[in-house]
Amino acid sequence: MIISQLGHYSLIFGLLTSILIFFNSSIQIKKNDAIISDKTTGLIGFQFFFVFISFISLIYSFLISDFSNETVYNNSHTTKPLFYKITGTWGNHEGSLLLWLLVLTGVLLGFIFKSKNEPKKYRLLTTIFHQIIVIGFFVFVLKTSNPFNEIFPVQTEGLGLNPILQDPALGIHPPILYLGYVGTSIIFSAALASMMSNYVNKIWAKNIKFWILFSWIFLTGGILLGSIWAYYELGWGGFWFWDPVENVSLMPWLSLTALLHCIVTLEKRELLKKWTIVLCIITFALSMVGTFLVRSGILNSVHTFANDPSRGIYILTFLLVLILLSFVIFIIFENKSFTQKSEIFIFSKETAVLINNWFILYFLSVVLIGTIYPIFLDVILDEQISVGPPFYNKLILPFLVPFVIFMSIGPSMKWIKTNFRIGIKSLLVIIFTLILSFITVYYIGEKNILILLLFIGFIYLLLKSLDQLRQKTKNFAQIFSHIGFSLLLISILLNSFLSKEIIKNIQVGESFFLKNEKIIFKKIAIEKEKNYESIIGFFEILDEKNKTINLQPEIRIYNEPDMATSEASIKTSLFKDRFITINIIKDQNFFNVRYQHKPFMIWVWISTLIIMLGGLFAIFRKNKEVNI
Amino acid sequence: MTRMFLKSKKLLIIKILIIFVLITINFKNFAISSTYSEEQTINITKNLRCLICQGQTIHESNSDFAESMKKYIKSELEDGKTNEEIFSSLVKKYGQWIVYDPGISRNTLLLWSLPLLLFLIGGAIIVKKIFRKI
Repeated sequence: MIISQLGHYSLIFGLLTSILIFFNSSIQIKKNDAIISDKTTGLIGFQFFFVFISFISLIYSFLISDFSNETVYNNSHTTKPLFYKITGTWGNHEGSLLLWLLVLTGVLLGFIFKSKNEPKKYRLLTTIFHQIIVIGFFVFVLKTSNPFNEIFPVQTEGLGLNPILQDPALGIHPPILYLGYVGTSIIFSAALASMMSNYVNKIWAKNIKFWILFSWIFLTGGILLGSIWAYYELGWGGFWFWDPVENVSLMPWLSLTALLHCIVTLEKRELLKKWTIVLCIITFALSMVGTFLVRSGILNSVHTFANDPSRGIYILTFLLVLILLSFVIFIIFENKSFTQKSEIFIFSKETAVLINNWFILYFLSVVLIGTIYPIFLDVILDEQISVGPPFYNKLILPFLVPFVIFMSIGPSMKWIKTNFRIGIKSLLVIIFTLILSFITVYYIGEKNILILLLFIGFIYLLLKSLDQLRQKTKNFAQIFSHIGFSLLLISILLNSFLSKEIIKNIQVGESFFLKNEKIIFKKIAIEKEKNYESIIGFFEILDEKNKTINLQPEIRIYNEPDMATSEASIKTSLFKDRFITINIIKDQNFFNVRYQHKPFMIWVWISTLIIMLGGLFAIFRKNKEVNI
Repeated sequence: MTRMFLKSKKLLIIKILIIFVLITINFKNFAISSTYSEEQTINITKNLRCLICQGQTIHESNSDFAESMKKYIKSELEDGKTNEEIFSSLVKKYGQWIVYDPGISRNTLLLWSLPLLLFLIGGAIIVKKIFRKI
């Protein structure tokens, strides 16, 4: 109880520090000191510390199951295992916003430490802009989503955490995702500050690149964890469904990816200044749009657990204020800040980056419009439509072909001007690509021309990127990310065409076939855990070589709240996953068994890790002159 | 000389764009065939929303509603109905909300055309940027 109050007061102190920092920084800008005073740095440290205390208090309240706290009461239960008591802290609206605030204040502290050699005015302005966001979120948390509300009389038992959130991958998914998602805020503040302090140049680009990579890597990791979770927990073997909640994490990712390519152009050639700044603003705006969509409860989806219009209206208003602010600053400082001398030649890396941005922004617009159009249609015309995978496939797949082809050629372009020579080697790569693609398409038995083109594009990208490993001046960061990306696309495509599944209603002792495999339902067992009871099905799979594989899918009946989930049992191998789930059929002895072959699943995860690895290379590559 | 070159470049870009638009249009027609199979049922149920679930397709869901829908679709296919007929009868009964493919209608014209329009605008800006000085 006392700890929970400590958390509450700590939040209020945090808000007060914000106001102090805001005024302290504004006064200092006018002074002629060369560096910012230790007082400001100290205050920023204190601010983070206050939020941290508040966050720890909430975790503690969850740990000791303090049911005088409303958030704990709504989302926890005494029988829950320790790990899920902790992860329950951010598995709800109030707690996750506190986490948001923690990251928000944390990245500013990180920025202040990392930017020691940069101009004072720029650092102070960044601090000021960042405090505007921080204050906005402090007020939001305290006013509409306070995690430390008390309830009276004190309850003896909580309502429990949604069982589908009781999972290790989903436990760490929010912190990782938020580091990326909220990390974009510092890019936004820094972009506005750099514009105002006339600092949009090579050095700025070089320094801000760290934060872009930082956000990008964590966002990639967060999306990966979310997909892995969806794959085994939701019980149907899919990992991406173009669900609005997935889309809102993909949008800043796309925008960050475009920005990543842009910032290098700014770093090397002092080009695309305006566009880079616009992208910085767009990226954070998309994070805010995502927060609005998810937190307002305006979406119909599995992830939405908040439903309160006042929250939505607050975020929306705040978002509009931030956009207006950046717009005004952009207009005022547009001419001062962006003097551009150099021109762009058609065959150059600059053009390649422009084309990259062109396509990525197109994909972004597809996702954005696909996500928010139905909401507008519902509000304006009161008509409900669903925008699902068919929409995205039709608008994205055809454009992926030219995109990956440009992506293959781009890295071998040179800055300023490239002279083209088509050597025998490049011809060999093309011939090899064509052969491989035709074999693949023949193997999966697909006659569609677009599928063939997609394979040609993806395989060409893979081979071209592998080929770049032989170059003298190679850039491991770019090559790894591109190899990872091509592997990801190839695995997704193969997975979607070669997946097989069979659904049967059977009793214990019966069996069925999928292709040459025999699936035998051996027995069931019931086990009792602390927070759930589980019905385990024992299955034996005889594959074509008569090897046995054992799979044990479960049905878990959780006690608090009373809810059943189906836990998949998966046997992963290099080329395919065997995936099985069971469900109870009401009032019968039969079980509904769903057995699937999911080819190349592990490659979807591995390739995403390779993409992230590329980002890590870029962070740890120090001061070496290399191209994108 | 450069003029000529520019013109042909622009033409080429336009041609490429036309080809992709054509492919896009063709792409949506390819999944339709008339013989009934297990895969066809899955194809249909994967594109239908389970109305009582949260963000799940009929195919994924094991709810009573989803199960009865699966049976209904199977029987419709056995009767020789085409995918399109099944979709349109479901839309009539449950509204556009049930299908994941929004389709092209008066309400969705902007949904489909806006991204493509933005793509064209983006292309125009880039072309202008590169050829500005020449």
